[in-house]
Amino acid sequence: MLWQIFITFFKIGAFTLGGGYAMLPLIKKEVCSKRGWISEDDFVNGIAAAQSSPGPIAVNISIYTGYHVAGFGGMFMAVLGAILPSLITIILIAMLFQQYAEQVYVKRAFSALRPAVVALIATPLIEMAKKSGLKTQNAWFPLLAAILVGYLNITPIYLIVITIVFAIWESYK
Amino acid sequence: MIYLNMFITFFKIGLFSFGGGYAILAMIKQEVVLNNPWVTEAEFMQIVAISQMTPGPIAINTATFIGYTKGGIPGSVLCTFGVILPSLILMLLITISYIKLSKTPWFKAIFKRLRLLSLGLIAAALIMVLGHAVQSLFALLVFIACFVSSWKFKVNPFYMLIASAIVGILFGDISISTMNWSEISHALLGIFSHAS
Repeated sequence: MLWQIFITFFKIGAFTLGGGYAMLPLIKKEVCSKRGWISEDDFVNGIAAAQSSPGPIAVNISIYTGYHVAGFGGMFMAVLGAILPSLITIILIAMLFQQYAEQVYVKRAFSALRPAVVALIATPLIEMAKKSGLKTQNAWFPLLAAILVGYLNITPIYLIVITIVFAIWESYK
Repeated sequence: MIYLNMFITFFKIGLFSFGGGYAILAMIKQEVVLNNPWVTEAEFMQIVAISQMTPGPIAINTATFIGYTKGGIPGSVLCTFGVILPSLILMLLITISYIKLSKTPWFKAIFKRLRLLSLGLIAAALIMVLGHAVQSLFALLVFIACFVSSWKFKVNPFYMLIASAIVGILFGDISISTMNWSEISHALLGIFSHAS
């Protein structure tokens, strides 16, 4: 089991370009649909938690999923799996002194990979919107958050704190 | 001593960066270019560009690279460990409380709201990368093709990325991709360092 967790996250870490957000749909596919380790509902909550905690999102969601599936051991295997490909690749590139980035075919490949990665971030948004309980009455909230952070560059931490305080107040009201 | 300093610096970066990915880069830049003279601004931009082009979380890639530049393999491992250690501690606490408290009303209320916020934050990340990654007709076509194939036809992302890379090698637009890796990073970092 631990070995399977490691392999799954290693594969995700090794094949996702474009950083944390692009890794989310792959992690979801592997741990929810394919392996059935965690329910979709718990996973969507995990994404919310991963964004509310400091640090890289991909690492946070690996910790969350790994612990959910197999406790401490699962957590360490998931994190190790997720970061080991980065560690190896970057050390190799740093050793070879970045020459491969200047090659024409690498640049060509990346001219298509960058928009593809954006699509990878866009698609789960639609599915998540259904799972997150989005309705016309409450759509203003994520929209406002997207504008504040995406266009006006407000640091998300304020929004996270306000949201948590508001939710607690609301439940005791 | 430099090792300890590197570890503490990246621990700090991991602890205070919220929102993932690009938001962390602004913080890393502040620490390794301005507060500590470990890499020059130009070197930093190059490192960020490579981190974007390499698999894995961008923050981890950048931490590993800077660690290697300053302290070889031990340096890269220390910086990476430093940046994830706060996550390990905090996220573990959150996960344990989630498992323990997920039935209580106030905890449920928090997640009900956080899930909506989470949607907004992903949309924000999308807004930020969309303008930079989709700058040509070719890029737009690739974006639409990938979006439709993953949304409507549920194509496996692994295969989609491999197919995109092949399409890029065959028909890719180099003038765009060579145009401004560093300009893009500059713009993003400018925005974020301004924000924090």
